[in-house]
Amino acid sequence: MLLSLILRSPHKAGVSKDEARAQLAKSHMRFPCPPGEGKRLLAFPRQTRLLMTMISDAPVLQQASEPAESAAAPSRLSRYARPMLGLLLPLTLALGWELVVWLGWSNGRLVPPPSRIFATIAELARSGELVRHITATLWRVALGFAFGVVAGTLLGAISGYWSLARRLLDPTVQALRAIPSLAWVPLFILWLGIFETSKVALIAVGVFFPVYLGVMGAILSVDRKIVEVGRTFRLSGPAMIRRILLPAVLPAYVVSLRVGLGLGWMFVVAAELIGASEGLGYLLLDGQQLGKPAQILAAIVIFAILGKLTDWLIEVAAAPFLRWQDAFVRAKGA
Amino acid sequence: MLALDRVSKTYPNGVQALARFSAEIRQGEIIAIIGGSGCGKSTLLRAIAGLDRASSGTVTLDNEAISSPHAKIGIIFQEPRLLPWLSVADNIGFGLADLPAAERGEKVARALERVGLTEKAQAWPRELSGGQAQRVAIARALVPQPEVLLLDEPFSALDAFTRRDLQDHLLDLWADTRPTLVLVTHDVDEAVVLADRVLVMRPRPGRLFDQIEINLGRPRDRNSPLFENFKRSVLTSLDRSLDRSVPDRDATQGPGQAMWW
Repeated sequence: MLLSLILRSPHKAGVSKDEARAQLAKSHMRFPCPPGEGKRLLAFPRQTRLLMTMISDAPVLQQASEPAESAAAPSRLSRYARPMLGLLLPLTLALGWELVVWLGWSNGRLVPPPSRIFATIAELARSGELVRHITATLWRVALGFAFGVVAGTLLGAISGYWSLARRLLDPTVQALRAIPSLAWVPLFILWLGIFETSKVALIAVGVFFPVYLGVMGAILSVDRKIVEVGRTFRLSGPAMIRRILLPAVLPAYVVSLRVGLGLGWMFVVAAELIGASEGLGYLLLDGQQLGKPAQILAAIVIFAILGKLTDWLIEVAAAPFLRWQDAFVRAKGA
Repeated sequence: MLALDRVSKTYPNGVQALARFSAEIRQGEIIAIIGGSGCGKSTLLRAIAGLDRASSGTVTLDNEAISSPHAKIGIIFQEPRLLPWLSVADNIGFGLADLPAAERGEKVARALERVGLTEKAQAWPRELSGGQAQRVAIARALVPQPEVLLLDEPFSALDAFTRRDLQDHLLDLWADTRPTLVLVTHDVDEAVVLADRVLVMRPRPGRLFDQIEINLGRPRDRNSPLFENFKRSVLTSLDRSLDRSVPDRDATQGPGQAMWW
Protein backbone atom coordinates (compact mmCIF):
# COMPACT_ATOMS: atom_id res chain seq x y z
CA MET A 1 0.00 0.00 0.00
CA LEU A 2 2.65 2.42 1.10
CA LEU A 3 4.83 1.46 -1.81
CA SER A 4 2.09 1.93 -4.32
CA LEU A 5 1.45 5.34 -2.77
CA ILE A 6 5.08 6.21 -3.27
CA LEU A 7 4.91 4.98 -6.83
CA ARG A 8 1.91 7.07 -7.63
CA SER A 9 3.16 10.35 -6.13
CA PRO A 10 6.94 10.41 -6.12
CA HIS A 11 7.04 14.17 -5.43
CA LYS A 12 5.10 14.04 -2.22
CA ALA A 13 7.04 11.14 -0.82
CA GLY A 14 10.31 12.71 -1.90
CA VAL A 15 11.67 9.76 -3.86
CA SER A 16 12.10 9.44 -7.57
CA LYS A 17 10.13 6.89 -9.52
CA ASP A 18 13.20 4.81 -10.22
CA GLU A 19 14.16 4.68 -6.59
CA ALA A 20 10.69 3.59 -5.67
CA ARG A 21 10.71 0.90 -8.32
CA ALA A 22 14.01 -0.38 -7.03
CA GLN A 23 12.61 -0.44 -3.52
CA LEU A 24 9.60 -2.32 -4.68
CA ALA A 25 11.75 -4.87 -6.42
CA LYS A 26 13.94 -5.22 -3.35
CA SER A 27 11.00 -5.71 -1.08
CA HIS A 28 9.77 -8.49 -3.32
CA MET A 29 13.13 -10.12 -3.08
CA ARG A 30 13.25 -9.74 0.65
CA PHE A 31 9.84 -11.23 1.25
CA PRO A 32 9.53 -14.08 -1.17
CA CYS A 33 6.14 -15.66 -0.80
CA PRO A 34 5.99 -19.21 -2.09
CA PRO A 35 2.74 -20.00 -3.86
CA GLY A 36 0.14 -21.42 -1.51
CA GLU A 37 1.82 -20.02 1.59
CA GLY A 38 -0.79 -17.33 2.05
CA LYS A 39 -3.58 -19.83 1.47
CA ARG A 40 -2.24 -22.12 4.12
CA LEU A 41 -2.39 -19.35 6.70
CA LEU A 42 -6.00 -18.76 5.80
CA ALA A 43 -6.72 -22.42 6.29
CA PHE A 44 -6.14 -22.18 10.03
CA PRO A 45 -9.30 -22.19 12.10
CA ARG A 46 -10.44 -18.77 13.14
CA GLN A 47 -9.43 -18.97 16.78
CA THR A 48 -5.95 -20.14 15.91
CA ARG A 49 -5.52 -17.27 13.51
CA LEU A 50 -6.73 -14.94 16.24
CA LEU A 51 -3.98 -16.16 18.51
CA MET A 52 -1.42 -16.15 15.77
CA THR A 53 -1.99 -12.52 15.03
CA MET A 54 -1.57 -11.78 18.70
CA ILE A 55 1.62 -13.64 19.34
CA SER A 56 3.65 -14.42 16.32
CA ASP A 57 5.54 -17.31 17.88
CA ALA A 58 2.51 -19.08 19.24
CA PRO A 59 2.95 -22.86 19.34
CA VAL A 60 0.31 -23.40 16.74
CA LEU A 61 -0.94 -26.94 16.30
CA GLN A 62 -0.24 -28.08 12.80
CA GLN A 63 -3.33 -28.78 10.82
CA ALA A 64 -2.78 -31.92 8.86
CA SER A 65 -3.21 -31.25 5.19
CA GLU A 66 -2.35 -34.73 4.00
CA PRO A 67 -4.51 -37.76 4.58
CA ALA A 68 -3.78 -39.66 7.78
CA GLU A 69 -2.57 -42.72 5.91
CA SER A 70 0.61 -41.03 4.78
CA ALA A 71 1.83 -40.85 8.39
CA ALA A 72 0.61 -44.29 9.32
CA ALA A 73 3.77 -46.31 8.87
CA PRO A 74 6.99 -44.32 8.62
CA SER A 75 10.12 -46.40 8.35
CA ARG A 76 12.02 -46.87 11.58
CA LEU A 77 15.03 -44.95 10.31
CA SER A 78 13.14 -41.81 9.37
CA ARG A 79 11.19 -41.96 12.62
CA TYR A 80 14.33 -41.58 14.69
CA ALA A 81 16.47 -39.72 12.22
CA ARG A 82 14.08 -36.86 11.65
CA PRO A 83 14.17 -35.33 15.16
CA MET A 84 17.94 -35.88 15.18
CA LEU A 85 18.18 -33.69 12.10
CA GLY A 86 16.92 -30.75 14.12
CA LEU A 87 19.65 -31.26 16.71
CA LEU A 88 22.39 -31.11 14.10
CA LEU A 89 22.69 -27.33 13.86
CA PRO A 90 22.73 -26.40 17.57
CA LEU A 91 25.08 -29.29 18.42
CA THR A 92 27.48 -28.34 15.66
CA LEU A 93 27.50 -24.73 16.78
CA ALA A 94 28.04 -25.67 20.43
CA LEU A 95 30.82 -28.12 19.68
CA GLY A 96 32.40 -25.70 17.26
CA TRP A 97 32.48 -22.94 19.84
CA GLU A 98 33.80 -25.33 22.46
CA LEU A 99 36.61 -26.20 20.06
CA VAL A 100 37.37 -22.57 19.29
CA VAL A 101 37.76 -21.76 22.98
CA TRP A 102 39.70 -24.95 23.66
CA LEU A 103 42.16 -24.11 20.87
CA GLY A 104 42.62 -20.70 22.43
CA TRP A 105 41.33 -18.75 19.41
CA SER A 106 38.95 -16.96 21.77
CA ASN A 107 39.04 -16.59 25.52
CA GLY A 108 35.27 -17.18 25.74
CA ARG A 109 34.86 -14.57 28.45
CA LEU A 110 31.74 -12.90 27.05
CA VAL A 111 30.48 -15.97 25.22
CA PRO A 112 31.36 -18.89 27.48
CA PRO A 113 31.58 -22.32 25.87
CA PRO A 114 28.96 -24.95 26.71
CA SER A 115 31.23 -26.75 29.15
CA ARG A 116 31.54 -23.61 31.29
CA ILE A 117 27.75 -23.08 31.23
CA PHE A 118 27.14 -26.62 32.39
CA ALA A 119 29.81 -26.27 35.05
CA THR A 120 27.96 -23.19 36.33
CA ILE A 121 24.71 -25.10 36.42
CA ALA A 122 26.37 -27.98 38.24
CA GLU A 123 27.86 -25.65 40.80
CA LEU A 124 24.54 -23.88 41.39
CA ALA A 125 22.92 -27.27 41.79
CA ARG A 126 25.55 -28.44 44.30
CA SER A 127 25.14 -25.41 46.52
CA GLY A 128 21.35 -25.83 46.52
CA GLU A 129 20.96 -22.37 44.99
CA LEU A 130 19.53 -23.80 41.79
CA VAL A 131 16.64 -25.57 43.48
CA ARG A 132 15.80 -22.46 45.48
CA HIS A 133 15.72 -20.24 42.36
CA ILE A 134 13.82 -22.75 40.26
CA THR A 135 11.26 -23.31 43.01
CA ALA A 136 10.69 -19.59 43.42
CA THR A 137 10.20 -19.05 39.70
CA LEU A 138 8.07 -22.14 39.15
CA TRP A 139 5.81 -21.21 42.05
CA ARG A 140 5.26 -17.71 40.64
CA VAL A 141 4.50 -19.04 37.18
CA ALA A 142 2.18 -21.70 38.57
CA LEU A 143 0.19 -19.22 40.66
CA GLY A 144 0.03 -16.59 37.93
CA PHE A 145 -0.90 -19.19 35.34
CA ALA A 146 -3.64 -20.60 37.57
CA PHE A 147 -5.22 -17.20 38.21
CA GLY A 148 -4.88 -16.14 34.58
CA VAL A 149 -6.38 -19.36 33.26
CA VAL A 150 -9.31 -19.31 35.67
CA ALA A 151 -10.16 -15.70 34.90
CA GLY A 152 -9.56 -16.07 31.16
CA THR A 153 -11.63 -19.22 30.91
CA LEU A 154 -14.54 -17.83 32.90
CA LEU A 155 -14.75 -14.49 31.13
CA GLY A 156 -13.98 -16.02 27.74
CA ALA A 157 -16.71 -18.61 28.18
CA ILE A 158 -19.23 -16.02 29.32
CA SER A 159 -18.60 -13.68 26.43
CA GLY A 160 -18.41 -16.53 23.95
CA TYR A 161 -21.65 -18.12 25.04
CA TRP A 162 -23.72 -15.06 25.75
CA SER A 163 -23.74 -12.31 23.16
CA LEU A 164 -25.04 -9.63 25.52
CA ALA A 165 -22.06 -10.23 27.82
CA ARG A 166 -19.80 -10.10 24.81
CA ARG A 167 -21.12 -6.70 23.86
CA LEU A 168 -20.73 -5.47 27.42
CA LEU A 169 -17.40 -7.01 28.24
CA ASP A 170 -15.39 -7.56 25.13
CA PRO A 171 -14.66 -3.95 24.12
CA THR A 172 -13.21 -3.26 27.56
CA VAL A 173 -11.09 -6.39 27.53
CA GLN A 174 -9.85 -5.61 24.03
CA ALA A 175 -8.95 -2.09 25.11
CA LEU A 176 -7.05 -3.42 28.10
CA ARG A 177 -5.31 -5.92 25.86
CA ALA A 178 -3.98 -3.05 23.77
CA ILE A 179 -2.00 -1.83 26.77
CA PRO A 180 1.49 -3.33 26.83
CA SER A 181 1.22 -5.52 29.89
CA LEU A 182 4.54 -4.32 31.29
CA ALA A 183 2.99 -0.86 31.62
CA TRP A 184 1.06 -2.24 34.58
CA VAL A 185 4.24 -2.89 36.54
CA PRO A 186 4.53 0.46 38.35
CA LEU A 187 0.86 0.40 39.23
CA PHE A 188 0.98 -3.17 40.47
CA ILE A 189 3.98 -2.34 42.62
CA LEU A 190 2.15 0.64 44.11
CA TRP A 191 -1.02 -1.33 44.68
CA LEU A 192 0.29 -4.74 45.61
CA GLY A 193 3.78 -4.08 46.94
CA ILE A 194 7.15 -5.12 45.62
CA PHE A 195 6.92 -8.74 46.75
CA GLU A 196 5.14 -11.79 45.43
CA THR A 197 1.63 -10.43 44.87
CA SER A 198 2.58 -7.92 42.19
CA LYS A 199 4.69 -10.51 40.36
CA VAL A 200 1.91 -13.09 40.34
CA ALA A 201 -0.57 -10.44 39.21
CA LEU A 202 1.65 -9.45 36.30
CA ILE A 203 2.02 -13.06 35.18
CA ALA A 204 -1.72 -13.60 35.54
CA VAL A 205 -2.40 -10.60 33.30
CA GLY A 206 -0.07 -12.02 30.68
CA VAL A 207 -1.77 -15.42 30.79
CA PHE A 208 -5.29 -14.02 30.86
CA PHE A 209 -5.53 -12.49 27.39
CA PRO A 210 -4.62 -15.43 25.17
CA VAL A 211 -6.81 -17.72 27.24
CA TYR A 212 -9.73 -15.31 27.15
CA LEU A 213 -9.41 -14.80 23.40
CA GLY A 214 -8.88 -18.49 22.77
CA VAL A 215 -11.94 -19.60 24.70
CA MET A 216 -14.20 -16.91 23.28
CA GLY A 217 -13.03 -17.47 19.72
CA ALA A 218 -13.38 -21.22 20.07
CA ILE A 219 -16.94 -21.00 21.32
CA LEU A 220 -17.88 -18.54 18.61
CA SER A 221 -16.50 -20.76 15.90
CA VAL A 222 -18.13 -24.02 17.01
CA ASP A 223 -19.71 -25.52 13.90
CA ARG A 224 -23.38 -24.55 13.78
CA LYS A 225 -24.11 -27.76 11.90
CA ILE A 226 -22.85 -29.88 14.75
CA VAL A 227 -24.82 -27.85 17.27
CA GLU A 228 -27.84 -28.64 15.09
CA VAL A 229 -27.16 -32.35 15.52
CA GLY A 230 -27.38 -31.76 19.26
CA ARG A 231 -30.67 -29.95 18.76
CA THR A 232 -32.19 -32.75 16.69
CA PHE A 233 -31.40 -35.12 19.56
CA ARG A 234 -33.07 -32.61 21.90
CA LEU A 235 -30.09 -32.06 24.18
CA SER A 236 -30.78 -29.83 27.17
CA GLY A 237 -28.61 -26.76 27.75
CA PRO A 238 -26.14 -28.47 30.11
CA ALA A 239 -26.02 -31.59 27.94
CA MET A 240 -25.33 -29.45 24.88
CA ILE A 241 -22.41 -27.82 26.69
CA ARG A 242 -21.04 -31.13 27.98
CA ARG A 243 -21.53 -33.25 24.88
CA ILE A 244 -21.07 -30.76 22.04
CA LEU A 245 -19.50 -27.46 23.09
CA LEU A 246 -16.76 -28.68 25.45
CA PRO A 247 -15.29 -31.28 23.12
CA ALA A 248 -15.57 -28.92 20.17
CA VAL A 249 -13.76 -26.16 22.03
CA LEU A 250 -11.04 -28.29 23.58
CA PRO A 251 -8.40 -28.23 20.80
CA ALA A 252 -8.42 -24.44 20.61
CA TYR A 253 -8.46 -24.26 24.40
CA VAL A 254 -5.31 -26.34 24.65
CA VAL A 255 -3.61 -24.08 22.13
CA SER A 256 -4.59 -21.02 24.12
CA LEU A 257 -3.31 -22.61 27.35
CA ARG A 258 0.03 -23.24 25.69
CA VAL A 259 0.22 -19.69 24.37
CA GLY A 260 -0.77 -18.44 27.83
CA LEU A 261 1.93 -20.51 29.48
CA GLY A 262 4.51 -19.14 27.06
CA LEU A 263 3.49 -15.62 28.02
CA GLY A 264 3.59 -16.62 31.69
CA TRP A 265 7.26 -17.54 31.30
CA MET A 266 7.92 -14.28 29.51
CA PHE A 267 6.32 -12.25 32.24
CA VAL A 268 8.00 -14.05 35.11
CA VAL A 269 11.32 -12.88 33.71
CA ALA A 270 10.05 -9.32 33.52
CA ALA A 271 8.69 -9.55 37.06
CA GLU A 272 11.90 -10.97 38.46
CA LEU A 273 14.10 -8.48 36.64
CA ILE A 274 12.21 -5.67 38.33
CA GLY A 275 13.05 -6.72 41.81
CA ALA A 276 13.55 -10.11 43.32
CA SER A 277 15.98 -11.75 45.69
CA GLU A 278 15.50 -15.20 44.27
CA GLY A 279 14.33 -16.82 41.08
CA LEU A 280 15.86 -17.46 37.69
CA GLY A 281 15.25 -13.86 36.67
CA TYR A 282 17.28 -12.81 39.66
CA LEU A 283 20.10 -15.05 38.43
CA LEU A 284 19.99 -13.20 35.12
CA LEU A 285 20.20 -9.80 36.79
CA ASP A 286 22.89 -10.94 39.21
CA GLY A 287 24.93 -12.32 36.32
CA GLN A 288 24.69 -9.04 34.49
CA GLN A 289 25.64 -6.91 37.47
CA LEU A 290 28.58 -9.08 38.51
CA GLY A 291 29.73 -9.74 34.95
CA LYS A 292 29.09 -13.49 34.91
CA PRO A 293 27.82 -14.36 31.39
CA ALA A 294 28.01 -18.08 32.17
CA GLN A 295 25.43 -17.58 34.92
CA ILE A 296 23.15 -15.65 32.57
CA LEU A 297 23.39 -18.37 29.95
CA ALA A 298 22.85 -21.02 32.60
CA ALA A 299 19.62 -19.30 33.64
CA ILE A 300 18.56 -19.01 30.01
CA VAL A 301 19.20 -22.70 29.42
CA ILE A 302 17.12 -23.58 32.47
CA PHE A 303 14.33 -21.27 31.32
CA ALA A 304 14.35 -23.03 27.99
CA ILE A 305 14.21 -26.45 29.60
CA LEU A 306 11.45 -25.50 32.04
CA GLY A 307 9.43 -23.73 29.36
CA LYS A 308 9.61 -26.69 27.02
CA LEU A 309 8.90 -29.13 29.86
CA THR A 310 5.78 -27.36 31.09
CA ASP A 311 4.52 -26.92 27.54
CA TRP A 312 5.06 -30.61 26.98
CA LEU A 313 3.15 -31.38 30.17
CA ILE A 314 0.09 -29.57 28.83
CA GLU A 315 0.42 -31.36 25.53
CA VAL A 316 0.70 -34.75 27.19
CA ALA A 317 -2.18 -34.05 29.56
CA ALA A 318 -4.40 -33.01 26.67
CA ALA A 319 -3.37 -35.73 24.22
CA PRO A 320 -5.81 -38.42 25.42
CA PHE A 321 -8.71 -36.03 24.80
CA LEU A 322 -7.49 -34.96 21.38
CA ARG A 323 -6.71 -38.33 19.84
CA TRP A 324 -9.52 -37.78 17.36
CA GLN A 325 -7.72 -34.88 15.73
CA ASP A 326 -5.87 -35.29 12.47
CA ALA A 327 -3.02 -33.16 13.73
CA PHE A 328 -2.10 -35.55 16.51
CA VAL A 329 -1.74 -38.50 14.21
CA ARG A 330 0.77 -36.56 12.21
CA ALA A 331 2.61 -35.33 15.29
CA LYS A 332 3.11 -38.96 16.34
CA GLY A 333 4.50 -39.92 12.96
CA ALA A 334 6.74 -36.90 12.54
CA MET B 1 -49.78 -39.47 9.93
CA LEU B 2 -47.64 -36.46 9.18
CA ALA B 3 -49.79 -33.51 8.18
CA LEU B 4 -48.58 -30.20 6.80
CA ASP B 5 -51.24 -27.56 6.78
CA ARG B 6 -50.60 -24.35 4.86
CA VAL B 7 -47.00 -24.12 6.04
CA SER B 8 -45.41 -20.78 5.10
CA LYS B 9 -42.02 -19.39 5.89
CA THR B 10 -40.86 -15.83 5.39
CA TYR B 11 -37.30 -15.08 6.42
CA PRO B 12 -36.50 -11.89 8.36
CA ASN B 13 -34.96 -10.41 5.19
CA GLY B 14 -38.37 -10.58 3.54
CA VAL B 15 -37.72 -13.56 1.29
CA GLN B 16 -40.73 -15.83 1.17
CA ALA B 17 -39.23 -19.32 1.01
CA LEU B 18 -42.41 -21.29 1.41
CA ALA B 19 -46.01 -20.41 0.67
CA ARG B 20 -48.97 -22.36 1.99
CA PHE B 21 -47.56 -25.82 1.55
CA SER B 22 -50.00 -28.57 2.46
CA ALA B 23 -49.60 -32.32 2.29
CA GLU B 24 -50.65 -35.41 4.15
CA ILE B 25 -48.16 -38.20 4.47
CA ARG B 26 -49.22 -41.63 5.66
CA GLN B 27 -47.24 -43.59 8.21
CA GLY B 28 -44.64 -45.68 6.40
CA GLU B 29 -44.94 -43.79 3.14
CA ILE B 30 -41.83 -42.73 1.27
CA ILE B 31 -42.07 -39.21 -0.11
CA ALA B 32 -39.55 -37.50 -2.33
CA ILE B 33 -39.65 -33.74 -2.59
CA ILE B 34 -38.03 -32.44 -5.74
CA GLY B 35 -37.69 -29.02 -7.27
CA GLY B 36 -35.36 -26.39 -8.63
CA SER B 37 -32.91 -24.65 -6.34
CA GLY B 38 -34.42 -22.11 -4.00
CA CYS B 39 -37.86 -23.71 -4.06
CA GLY B 40 -37.92 -24.11 -0.30
CA LYS B 41 -37.31 -27.87 -0.13
CA SER B 42 -34.83 -27.61 2.69
CA THR B 43 -36.87 -24.96 4.45
CA LEU B 44 -39.81 -27.31 4.42
CA LEU B 45 -37.76 -30.16 5.80
CA ARG B 46 -36.36 -27.99 8.58
CA ALA B 47 -39.87 -26.95 9.52
CA ILE B 48 -40.94 -30.60 9.77
CA ALA B 49 -37.83 -31.36 11.83
CA GLY B 50 -38.71 -28.54 14.22
CA LEU B 51 -35.33 -26.90 13.62
CA ASP B 52 -36.94 -23.76 12.18
CA ARG B 53 -40.38 -22.59 13.03
CA ALA B 54 -42.83 -21.93 10.22
CA SER B 55 -44.07 -18.33 9.94
CA SER B 56 -47.61 -19.65 9.70
CA GLY B 57 -49.34 -22.96 9.23
CA THR B 58 -48.84 -26.11 11.24
CA VAL B 59 -46.90 -29.35 11.09
CA THR B 60 -48.54 -32.16 13.04
CA LEU B 61 -47.43 -35.71 13.66
CA ASP B 62 -50.33 -37.89 14.82
CA ASN B 63 -52.20 -34.73 15.79
CA GLU B 64 -49.29 -33.45 17.85
CA ALA B 65 -48.01 -30.05 16.72
CA ILE B 66 -44.28 -29.94 15.93
CA SER B 67 -42.49 -26.73 16.86
CA SER B 68 -39.21 -28.09 18.13
CA PRO B 69 -37.19 -31.26 17.48
CA HIS B 70 -39.24 -34.30 18.37
CA ALA B 71 -38.19 -37.74 19.60
CA LYS B 72 -40.16 -39.48 16.89
CA ILE B 73 -38.56 -37.46 14.09
CA GLY B 74 -35.02 -38.13 12.94
CA ILE B 75 -33.07 -36.23 10.33
CA ILE B 76 -30.13 -36.95 8.05
CA PHE B 77 -28.35 -34.02 6.48
CA GLN B 78 -26.45 -33.63 3.27
CA GLU B 79 -23.19 -33.95 5.21
CA PRO B 80 -22.83 -36.79 7.70
CA ARG B 81 -22.28 -34.33 10.57
CA LEU B 82 -20.63 -36.93 12.74
CA LEU B 83 -19.09 -35.72 15.95
CA PRO B 84 -15.36 -35.94 15.24
CA TRP B 85 -14.44 -36.61 18.87
CA LEU B 86 -16.61 -39.71 19.18
CA SER B 87 -15.83 -43.13 17.77
CA VAL B 88 -18.17 -44.54 15.13
CA ALA B 89 -19.96 -46.62 17.77
CA ASP B 90 -20.38 -43.65 20.11
CA ASN B 91 -21.68 -41.54 17.23
CA ILE B 92 -24.35 -44.11 16.49
CA GLY B 93 -25.26 -44.30 20.17
CA PHE B 94 -25.37 -40.51 20.51
CA GLY B 95 -29.16 -40.34 20.67
CA LEU B 96 -29.42 -43.18 23.17
CA ALA B 97 -27.75 -41.47 26.12
CA ASP B 98 -30.74 -42.16 28.36
CA LEU B 99 -30.49 -45.92 27.96
CA PRO B 100 -28.37 -48.10 30.26
CA ALA B 101 -24.95 -48.79 28.76
CA ALA B 102 -25.56 -52.47 28.11
CA GLU B 103 -28.78 -51.92 26.18
CA ARG B 104 -27.21 -49.06 24.26
CA GLY B 105 -24.20 -51.17 23.36
CA GLU B 106 -26.45 -53.91 22.09
CA LYS B 107 -28.50 -51.57 19.90
CA VAL B 108 -25.38 -49.90 18.55
CA ALA B 109 -23.82 -53.26 17.74
CA ARG B 110 -26.94 -54.32 15.88
CA ALA B 111 -27.04 -51.04 13.95
CA LEU B 112 -23.35 -51.35 13.08
CA GLU B 113 -23.96 -54.80 11.74
CA ARG B 114 -26.97 -53.61 9.82
CA VAL B 115 -24.97 -50.92 8.00
CA GLY B 116 -22.02 -53.28 7.56
CA LEU B 117 -19.52 -51.29 9.59
CA THR B 118 -18.94 -53.62 12.55
CA GLU B 119 -15.19 -53.61 12.04
CA LYS B 120 -15.17 -49.79 12.07
CA ALA B 121 -16.85 -49.54 15.49
CA GLN B 122 -13.82 -48.02 17.19
CA ALA B 123 -12.63 -45.94 14.22
CA TRP B 124 -12.74 -42.14 14.26
CA PRO B 125 -15.09 -40.44 11.81
CA ARG B 126 -12.15 -38.94 9.92
CA GLU B 127 -11.00 -42.43 9.03
CA LEU B 128 -14.20 -43.19 7.11
CA SER B 129 -14.91 -42.67 3.45
CA GLY B 130 -17.78 -40.39 2.46
CA GLY B 131 -20.16 -43.29 1.91
CA GLN B 132 -19.22 -44.98 5.17
CA ALA B 133 -19.67 -41.73 7.09
CA GLN B 134 -23.13 -41.24 5.61
CA ARG B 135 -24.03 -44.81 6.55
CA VAL B 136 -23.01 -44.03 10.13
CA ALA B 137 -25.23 -40.95 9.98
CA ILE B 138 -28.12 -43.10 8.77
CA ALA B 139 -27.52 -45.59 11.56
CA ARG B 140 -27.36 -42.77 14.11
CA ALA B 141 -30.69 -41.42 12.93
CA LEU B 142 -32.38 -44.83 12.77
CA VAL B 143 -31.17 -46.29 16.05
CA PRO B 144 -33.70 -44.40 18.21
CA GLN B 145 -36.38 -45.89 15.89
CA PRO B 146 -38.05 -42.68 14.72
CA GLU B 147 -41.50 -42.79 13.16
CA VAL B 148 -40.45 -40.19 10.63
CA LEU B 149 -37.04 -39.92 9.05
CA LEU B 150 -36.22 -36.74 7.13
CA LEU B 151 -33.41 -36.78 4.59
CA ASP B 152 -32.01 -33.55 3.19
CA GLU B 153 -30.21 -34.46 -0.06
CA PRO B 154 -28.45 -37.22 1.84
CA PHE B 155 -26.52 -38.72 -1.07
CA SER B 156 -25.81 -35.68 -3.20
CA ALA B 157 -22.19 -35.42 -2.09
CA LEU B 158 -21.40 -39.02 -3.04
CA ASP B 159 -20.23 -40.54 -6.29
CA ALA B 160 -22.75 -42.31 -8.51
CA PHE B 161 -21.87 -45.86 -7.47
CA THR B 162 -21.88 -45.15 -3.76
CA ARG B 163 -25.12 -43.25 -4.19
CA ARG B 164 -26.84 -46.25 -5.77
CA ASP B 165 -25.52 -48.55 -3.06
CA LEU B 166 -26.78 -46.29 -0.35
CA GLN B 167 -30.19 -45.85 -1.97
CA ASP B 168 -30.67 -49.61 -2.00
CA HIS B 169 -29.26 -49.82 1.48
CA LEU B 170 -31.66 -47.18 2.73
CA LEU B 171 -34.63 -49.11 1.35
CA ASP B 172 -33.30 -52.24 2.98
CA LEU B 173 -33.07 -50.47 6.34
CA TRP B 174 -36.45 -48.86 5.84
CA ALA B 175 -38.02 -52.31 5.53
CA ASP B 176 -36.96 -53.14 9.12
CA THR B 177 -39.28 -50.74 10.92
CA ARG B 178 -40.97 -48.96 8.00
CA PRO B 179 -40.71 -45.38 9.21
CA THR B 180 -42.13 -42.56 7.12
CA LEU B 181 -39.37 -41.20 4.90
CA VAL B 182 -39.41 -37.65 3.61
CA LEU B 183 -36.54 -37.19 1.20
CA VAL B 184 -35.49 -33.92 -0.33
CA THR B 185 -33.51 -34.42 -3.50
CA HIS B 186 -32.68 -32.85 -6.83
CA ASP B 187 -31.95 -36.22 -8.41
CA VAL B 188 -34.92 -37.51 -10.46
CA ASP B 189 -33.48 -41.01 -10.54
CA GLU B 190 -33.23 -41.07 -6.78
CA ALA B 191 -36.77 -39.82 -6.36
CA VAL B 192 -38.23 -42.50 -8.63
CA VAL B 193 -36.15 -45.31 -7.12
CA LEU B 194 -37.11 -44.52 -3.57
CA ALA B 195 -40.46 -42.80 -3.42
CA ASP B 196 -44.06 -43.93 -3.32
CA ARG B 197 -45.00 -40.39 -4.20
CA VAL B 198 -42.97 -37.53 -5.66
CA LEU B 199 -43.91 -33.97 -4.73
CA VAL B 200 -42.69 -31.40 -7.24
CA MET B 201 -42.16 -27.91 -5.88
CA ARG B 202 -42.08 -24.61 -7.68
CA PRO B 203 -39.75 -21.79 -6.61
CA ARG B 204 -40.25 -18.13 -5.64
CA PRO B 205 -42.09 -18.61 -3.40
CA GLY B 206 -41.77 -22.32 -2.75
CA ARG B 207 -45.04 -24.15 -3.10
CA LEU B 208 -46.41 -27.47 -4.19
CA PHE B 209 -46.66 -27.72 -7.97
CA ASP B 210 -47.49 -31.29 -8.75
CA GLN B 211 -47.41 -34.76 -7.32
CA ILE B 212 -46.76 -38.05 -9.00
CA GLU B 213 -47.55 -41.47 -7.57
CA ILE B 214 -44.88 -44.00 -8.43
CA ASN B 215 -46.85 -47.21 -8.78
CA LEU B 216 -43.93 -49.54 -9.10
CA GLY B 217 -43.24 -52.63 -7.06
CA ARG B 218 -40.03 -53.05 -5.11
CA PRO B 219 -37.25 -53.71 -5.70
CA ARG B 220 -37.32 -51.40 -8.68
CA ASP B 221 -35.33 -51.99 -11.80
CA ARG B 222 -33.63 -48.75 -12.77
CA ASN B 223 -33.48 -49.87 -16.41
CA SER B 224 -37.06 -50.99 -16.95
CA PRO B 225 -39.21 -49.04 -19.44
CA LEU B 226 -41.78 -48.41 -16.73
CA PHE B 227 -39.12 -46.82 -14.56
CA GLU B 228 -38.12 -44.64 -17.51
CA ASN B 229 -41.73 -43.61 -17.93
CA PHE B 230 -42.03 -42.42 -14.37
CA LYS B 231 -38.73 -40.64 -14.66
CA ARG B 232 -39.96 -38.86 -17.75
CA SER B 233 -43.16 -37.75 -16.13
CA VAL B 234 -41.26 -36.39 -13.12
CA LEU B 235 -38.85 -34.60 -15.43
CA THR B 236 -41.69 -33.13 -17.46
CA SER B 237 -43.39 -31.89 -14.35
CA LEU B 238 -40.09 -30.48 -13.11
CA ASP B 239 -39.57 -28.69 -16.41
CA ARG B 240 -43.01 -27.22 -16.26
CA SER B 241 -42.44 -26.12 -12.68
CA LEU B 242 -39.41 -24.12 -13.80
CA ASP B 243 -40.51 -22.98 -17.24
CA ARG B 244 -42.36 -19.70 -17.00
CA SER B 245 -43.70 -19.95 -20.58
CA VAL B 246 -45.85 -22.93 -19.70
CA PRO B 247 -49.20 -21.42 -18.76
CA ASP B 248 -49.61 -21.55 -15.03
CA ARG B 249 -53.18 -22.57 -14.48
CA ASP B 250 -53.41 -20.80 -11.17
CA ALA B 251 -50.46 -18.73 -10.09
CA THR B 252 -51.16 -18.93 -6.40
CA GLN B 253 -52.21 -22.52 -6.14
CA GLY B 254 -50.54 -24.38 -8.96
CA PRO B 255 -52.32 -26.91 -11.13
CA GLY B 256 -54.42 -29.11 -8.94
CA GLN B 257 -53.89 -32.71 -9.73
CA ALA B 258 -54.76 -33.48 -6.17
CA MET B 259 -54.80 -30.34 -4.09
CA TRP B 260 -56.15 -29.94 -0.65
CA TRP B 261 -57.05 -26.28 -0.74
